[in-house]
Amino acid sequence: MSGQPSALEKVVAFVDERVGLKTLQAKMLNEPVPGGSRWAYVFGSCLLFIFIMQVVTGILLMFYYVPSADHAYASTQYIIHEVDYGWFILSYHFWGSSAMVVMVFAHMSQVFLWGAYKKPRELIWLIGLALFGLVMAFGFTGYLLPWDQRAYWATTVGVEIMDKTPLVGDFMARFLKGGPTPGQMTLSRFFVIHVMILPAALMGLAGLHLFLFRKAGPAGPFRGSAEELRARTDYFFPRQVWKDIVAMGAVFVTICSLAFIEPVVLLEEATPDPGDYHPEPEWYFLFLFQMLRLKIFSGELGQFVAGVAIPLGFMVFLASLPFIDRSPERNIFKRPIALIGWLLVMTGILVFTVSAIINREFLD
Amino acid sequence: MVAWPAVWTGVPIKIVLGLLLLAMGVHPWEMPGLALLLLLSIPIDIWALGVSARTVFLDRLHLEPPESVGVTLWWQAALLSAIYLPIAYGIESQVVAGAKGVVGGIFEVELLKNLPVPERISLELVLWGSVATVVLLGLALGWLFLFGRIVQRPAAVARPLTEPYQALVRRWDLLRVPTDQPLLLTGFTATGVLLVLLFWTVMPVTTPHPHELYRKEPAKVEVFKPTEALQKTEKLIAQAESAVKALEAKAKQGAKGKTSAKGGARGAGERAR
Repeated sequence: MSGQPSALEKVVAFVDERVGLKTLQAKMLNEPVPGGSRWAYVFGSCLLFIFIMQVVTGILLMFYYVPSADHAYASTQYIIHEVDYGWFILSYHFWGSSAMVVMVFAHMSQVFLWGAYKKPRELIWLIGLALFGLVMAFGFTGYLLPWDQRAYWATTVGVEIMDKTPLVGDFMARFLKGGPTPGQMTLSRFFVIHVMILPAALMGLAGLHLFLFRKAGPAGPFRGSAEELRARTDYFFPRQVWKDIVAMGAVFVTICSLAFIEPVVLLEEATPDPGDYHPEPEWYFLFLFQMLRLKIFSGELGQFVAGVAIPLGFMVFLASLPFIDRSPERNIFKRPIALIGWLLVMTGILVFTVSAIINREFLD
Repeated sequence: MVAWPAVWTGVPIKIVLGLLLLAMGVHPWEMPGLALLLLLSIPIDIWALGVSARTVFLDRLHLEPPESVGVTLWWQAALLSAIYLPIAYGIESQVVAGAKGVVGGIFEVELLKNLPVPERISLELVLWGSVATVVLLGLALGWLFLFGRIVQRPAAVARPLTEPYQALVRRWDLLRVPTDQPLLLTGFTATGVLLVLLFWTVMPVTTPHPHELYRKEPAKVEVFKPTEALQKTEKLIAQAESAVKALEAKAKQGAKGKTSAKGGARGAGERAR
């Protein structure tokens, strides 16, 4: 018996000969991590994990969901009330989308604070920004699908903001709505974008993002000499893999807990009359929505500045950041403008989001 | 150095327990769920504090960690928290209430009275929120300072280590990864599978929060009784048969009547000619 390969070993050898499994495994797991494994590096892996879970739960939901204005609401209610564990799968999918936004913010913040967007990682940063846009688009298009009042009016508000974009705004708004008011065409288009176009784009860009990351290698910590970093260098497996698994487990359990604490409960079916409902977008767009309420941004020009110019300008600034900030210094404590800027943006988002929640009480 | 990693070492296990309680319909932030979670957290915290403290003693301080450092740090930290946290909560609540009152007073001034609601909300939030955040950070630092004093006491009497750095790294590394790794992985996987099975078993199948407008139509299930069905069918067939017979008889009678009527008419015609 000894010396003879087992059946499993034979299968592995067969596949390896044709696919190059062992080379692939070595490439995937033996990636050197300068300065050793860190908890700060788990966000990218967590994002990939959340996306995979969104795909899985999304497919399960599609078995029952009907993307028509007549049946979308009823089929979503059916998923919640009749399908075994349907309420949980839907709530997981809902909170998974929020977790993805939070994780994108965490990942981008880590890359920004670590100065990992600098040369030679400019392209990784740019593709990361495009992925950020896709994640927001996922949230925006998915929000309409349950076809209740919240969904309908959040989309109406969002499309109205989009309409203010110069040159392409009118076309984009008309294309997305497919008519004067949101209806069947809007739902069909949002559904196709949500389940076909965005996943395909995200998979392609995420693959490119990972390829470029592997090409450039991890940036490593921003402190410590090259010699120190080399001495503490670790391989991706097992330490970083273990940290990633623990973080993914924590993310999974947190999303599950949120699905239990605040499960999806639909409002009334969508109608073109808001009634007592005060339209507002999803929580991660609330800061922008609250900014639009400020008097300084009232009027056509003001709405354009707050709704389009500031977010678009900020994205353009982020995209050009690696080309503006050419200093090789990565230590965030030696980059005071970057640190203060990051703190201001985060505080601003937090203050306006909480203000929007307090504002809701005034309206109610 | 000890508190931060200890918190994050324990948190993943605690959220798993919290999730299981949620799946069972018990809220871990209310009694009795809270009491149960706190009780289950005791061994987790002792282990997490022990692992983190040993790592700091070996890696950072190059000192021999004292025996049962986890238990010692846990009860001292628990005592500290039992005294400190209610006081800190009281101070923070008072500060928030006071800051909100002062800020509310500022905005009652004639000059600021007509400020639009969205602007007022954000400005008020920034003003009282800044004070509350600074006090909260100060209180957190105060707790960390006192916890640091607790850790310093065993560190002051600990024996310095003379082993080479590599050996120290190996020692603290083995605190987390045991020598028998396949056993760890098997145990870990088995626990995972068990937890997943438990989770799906205790979780409600349909929503625990049904929509007030959602009405499920009660399904009408008719029980099929073969004898009754047969009797019903036989009765129907008999009825149909008698109906057919009656129709046939009527048709025959009709045909007879017509024939006699035709004969009568022909006779009358002939007579007229």
